[in-house]
Amino acid sequence: MSDLNSSHSGLPLSPFYSAEGDDQNAPGVYPYTRGKRLPRPGQSWILRELSGEGTAARSNQQFKSLMAKGQQGLDIIGDTPTMHMLDPDHPHAVHAVGTQGVSLCCRADFEELYRDLPLDELSFSQSLPSVPGIAGLYLVAKERGVPSEILRGSAIQLALYEDDCSYSRHLPLKLRMRMATDSVEFAAKKMPKFHALLEDTYFFSETGLNSVEEMALGFVELRYYIRELLKRGVDIDAFAPRIGILLTCRMDLFEEIAKIRATRRIYARMMKEEFGAKDPRSMALTVTAHTSGLTMTAQQPVNNVARGGMQAVALAMAGVQAMEISTFDEAYRTPSEEAHMVGLRTQQIVQLETNVTKVSDPLGGSWYVEDLTDKMEQSIVAQLEEIEALGDIGELTEQGYFRQIFNNAMERLSRDLSDGTVQRVGVNSHQIPNAEDHMLKEASERKTQPFRDQIAHIKAFKQNRDFEKSKQALGALYDVVRDKNTNMMESYVAALAADATIGETAGVLRQAYGQKYDPLGNLPSPLDI
Amino acid sequence: MQKSSAPIKVLVTILGLDQHEVGAMAIAATLRDAGMEVVYGGRFNLPPAVVNSALQEDVDVIGISAHSWEYLHFLDEIIDGLKAAGMNVPVIIGGSVVTDTDKADILSKGVSAAFGPTDTPAEIVAEIQRVARDSRT
Repeated sequence: MSDLNSSHSGLPLSPFYSAEGDDQNAPGVYPYTRGKRLPRPGQSWILRELSGEGTAARSNQQFKSLMAKGQQGLDIIGDTPTMHMLDPDHPHAVHAVGTQGVSLCCRADFEELYRDLPLDELSFSQSLPSVPGIAGLYLVAKERGVPSEILRGSAIQLALYEDDCSYSRHLPLKLRMRMATDSVEFAAKKMPKFHALLEDTYFFSETGLNSVEEMALGFVELRYYIRELLKRGVDIDAFAPRIGILLTCRMDLFEEIAKIRATRRIYARMMKEEFGAKDPRSMALTVTAHTSGLTMTAQQPVNNVARGGMQAVALAMAGVQAMEISTFDEAYRTPSEEAHMVGLRTQQIVQLETNVTKVSDPLGGSWYVEDLTDKMEQSIVAQLEEIEALGDIGELTEQGYFRQIFNNAMERLSRDLSDGTVQRVGVNSHQIPNAEDHMLKEASERKTQPFRDQIAHIKAFKQNRDFEKSKQALGALYDVVRDKNTNMMESYVAALAADATIGETAGVLRQAYGQKYDPLGNLPSPLDI
Repeated sequence: MQKSSAPIKVLVTILGLDQHEVGAMAIAATLRDAGMEVVYGGRFNLPPAVVNSALQEDVDVIGISAHSWEYLHFLDEIIDGLKAAGMNVPVIIGGSVVTDTDKADILSKGVSAAFGPTDTPAEIVAEIQRVARDSRT
């Protein structure tokens, strides 16, 4: 293999290229179009794959096995009940425990999840409800004597669109916003290296949004959070250095690259000129990516490996801080062990064999890519301004304005696939009969059975805990949440520490905002209110 | 109006904690475009609620949209519930997670039709029309 600064044939390479004498148009220089920073020689993005399955203990084993294969950070996704903030013993959860992510319900689960993992070394990205996710990591670090100041990772914040896009928790918007901003404010103080404000444009783009809509809506949400935090008197430079965007990557590779470049530029200008950030780190956006599940097909699943490979190259050229690759089984399930291996190896091949990591922003200066970047920037900003001109963003959400955008996108994609406007190999071109479509089919279709033992386990846990202590902590949480001026996070951590469950805390939060404890049934509240 | 000439009435519903509503809304729109009447049950339904809606709304077909594996486990309870209520309403299942192997399994359990990600809207409409027609005669 060639050394760090040359091509395979030994031709010398610069860390980046620009017009002669133009030092300003470089990665790591405002407005950061060309990258957050110039990587150190040999440095690349964080390799990771979305993981978490079954119990916390089983997921912990899964993490260790991924790390043994070269994964450098974790992205932990909760199972459906966890995402919903319901306990495994809720009647609706019975067939969903642990099948599409890890089941997390209480302090002991978080302890198991992070057991033996180096909290001071690894980066823990959480595709979890942010309040319990951040509280759980913070609590385990505290128990293990690890200073929270050195914890790294991220938490997705989904407050604005979650009800419209399949992450419904039955929490009123005002409460969801409070949870987002409380957790960001808490992390800015206690976990300053942790990206607690990760704007997740991936999940809502899976409705079928195009790249312009994805980023326009992403900026709408991100700006909504930022304004809320500023209204509280939090200094912009106290939390902005740890803002990130987790975006998707579709198959129009140049458009996706232009999107990422334009996003960094829009963000930098917005933070400096509009929100008055002074710290350069507040202007240099962290971008992480998960390749689009929507571009992956159930037909001929092996073809998805090729798609993931191309998307990984595009993301590497765009310059991202971390990536996850959807692979062959994406149309059917959260990644299997085999799919994890393929995703990780895809990233490693791009990283170690293709030389794309040698030169930052290799497409910078291309007439095509620069023009597309400018046009993406203009289109994203135009749509963002158009939406914000309509009025209060919270009201728009509650009126279903965004839901309509997502629904329209879904219908548009379905129509485009039917009439062939969007070409998809194996779906509307180059199809093969089902009977002949067996490569990787069996592995893609394999199912994870519900971990129903966990239901009994949690029931026993609830029986055996010091319930008075849990109840007291839940009561204190209720009081703090009712008082709209106090950050709930310390009380939330205390409730988890006192063995209250995520489902109970969510129910009490709902009650504090005048809602029913159990949104889907009739479970009684542990509090006499 | 005679039931045999009335539009086909379909309950479109999602079970358990299956969060994904996109497919259900898409199929509801497709069925409406094909002239059917859709009772949209939305998300977060357990089997007793599904049986009850089917009974109250007097639907011709119960359509379950599935984007998680939960439906495989709820299915027996729905079919038993319909029997216990003395109802002879056909159940069909469609969704991104329904594989060919699943189709064979659930058809043997008494489901009238099953659709996976490779089936087209036109095929789904035609099959629902057939199932409803058979059920009415």
